[in-house]
Amino acid sequence: MGKIFDFQFMIEIIPSILKGIPFTIMIAVVGFAVGIVIGLFGALFKIYKVPVLNKLTGLYVSFVRGTPLVVQILLIYYAFPILIKLINFKFGTKIDISWIPAVVFMFIAYSLNAGAYLTESIRASILAVDKGQMEAAESVGMTMWQAMIRIVLPQAAKISLPVFANFFIGLLKDTSLAFTAAVPEIMGQAKIQAGRASRFFEAYIDAALIYWGLCIILERIVAFIEKRNKESA
Amino acid sequence: MSNVMIEMNNIHKKFGNNHVLKGVDLTVNEGETVALLGSSGSGKSTLLRCINLLETPDAGDVRINDYSFTASKINKHVKLEARRRTAMVFQNFGLFANKTALENVTEALITVRKKSKSEAIEIGRKYLDKVGLLEQANQYPSTLSGGQKQRVAISRALALDPKIILFDEPTSALDPELVGEVQRVIRKVAEEKVTMLIVTHEMDFARDVADKVAFMSEGQIIETATPSEFFTNPKNERTQKFLERYLQRFSYSI
Repeated sequence: MGKIFDFQFMIEIIPSILKGIPFTIMIAVVGFAVGIVIGLFGALFKIYKVPVLNKLTGLYVSFVRGTPLVVQILLIYYAFPILIKLINFKFGTKIDISWIPAVVFMFIAYSLNAGAYLTESIRASILAVDKGQMEAAESVGMTMWQAMIRIVLPQAAKISLPVFANFFIGLLKDTSLAFTAAVPEIMGQAKIQAGRASRFFEAYIDAALIYWGLCIILERIVAFIEKRNKESA
Repeated sequence: MSNVMIEMNNIHKKFGNNHVLKGVDLTVNEGETVALLGSSGSGKSTLLRCINLLETPDAGDVRINDYSFTASKINKHVKLEARRRTAMVFQNFGLFANKTALENVTEALITVRKKSKSEAIEIGRKYLDKVGLLEQANQYPSTLSGGQKQRVAISRALALDPKIILFDEPTSALDPELVGEVQRVIRKVAEEKVTMLIVTHEMDFARDVADKVAFMSEGQIIETATPSEFFTNPKNERTQKFLERYLQRFSYSI
């Protein structure tokens, strides 16, 4: 101790913090992928005003958008042990909550969170596709599903791409909240390392640089995909 | 008597309080080109869209060659059956923006008509060639001119080999210098005795291409005649007024 800023310590702990990357990426990717599926169904329920499901989707989106992510994470994290206790009690099973890794709860929490936001953005993208496209597809005899899958959704996806990219980058950074549920992602690892030497500032600088680096890589990938997309049409 | 391709009886359609179609009767025979004329808001496009059920009529009966349905019993299945017997050419082209010109033509052949990809491509190339766009086969619609887009749309319709092709103001969205190329293609198609129903505002074109002219006013077809009879000797008073207005506009431009 005694140093104001321990540069050597900051470098030393980088490999340990990097170990959090797989968790960070896993949570972001699973949350995003499942979120797109939820969002797609949510968007279709809303656009076609499917009875009951339309209202439920509205309630779900409103709740998720109206509560902080960290609260949602803690709710899922504490709701599950209670749910499993209830199942054990009701069905006489002996499921042990410790069998389920904490990261699984995070998959659920981030998927539900992403699903709500993506419901709204996918809905907007589908509505942004020219209405004539659906009519043209129907006029040649395609069913509504064929028209959706082959004509409307590919165009909606293209419209969505910049929104999706921004959302994914945001999601990747939001995974830093998963440490509140004891998941050893980048932020969790940084906290562990920081705690060993009580050098928090150094560890968080590492964390910041790692997130920044990941986001720069992502932005490059997105720029590449967008460029290729422009060329194809 | 030739084969009947379209027969509509007493078709009614309301949008809220707006009674757009007030009991329309229309017959189109095989190989015929029928031009549907009338002032804006007379219900021409709505009538067209009641055939392939992009609009659902409120009352009346429709027969598309071998398939009949009544307005009160329209469901998903009826819509598909009606659409699989017809094809439509839209005012705004309606080309699939995410598909190339060739894919626009082959799409429904593959997904709806269940043809193999190679067979669909063969058919697609044949019909693109017919409208003179084989060279543009792999271009996306955004890179085509309005006239080219509409020609692709026409070849897409032809490739489906429908009982009838419905044209909804096919040249209204085109720049004036592009109208000619599209009209030439439609004329060529008419010469091949493809059954067509064309909503248009282009009187000269209607006169030139149609075997029969149907005139709509206030939600009804009030006069049906051959083009020469219709343009030189209209029977109905409202038809006479309409043509007078049109001829006046013509004389102004001179």
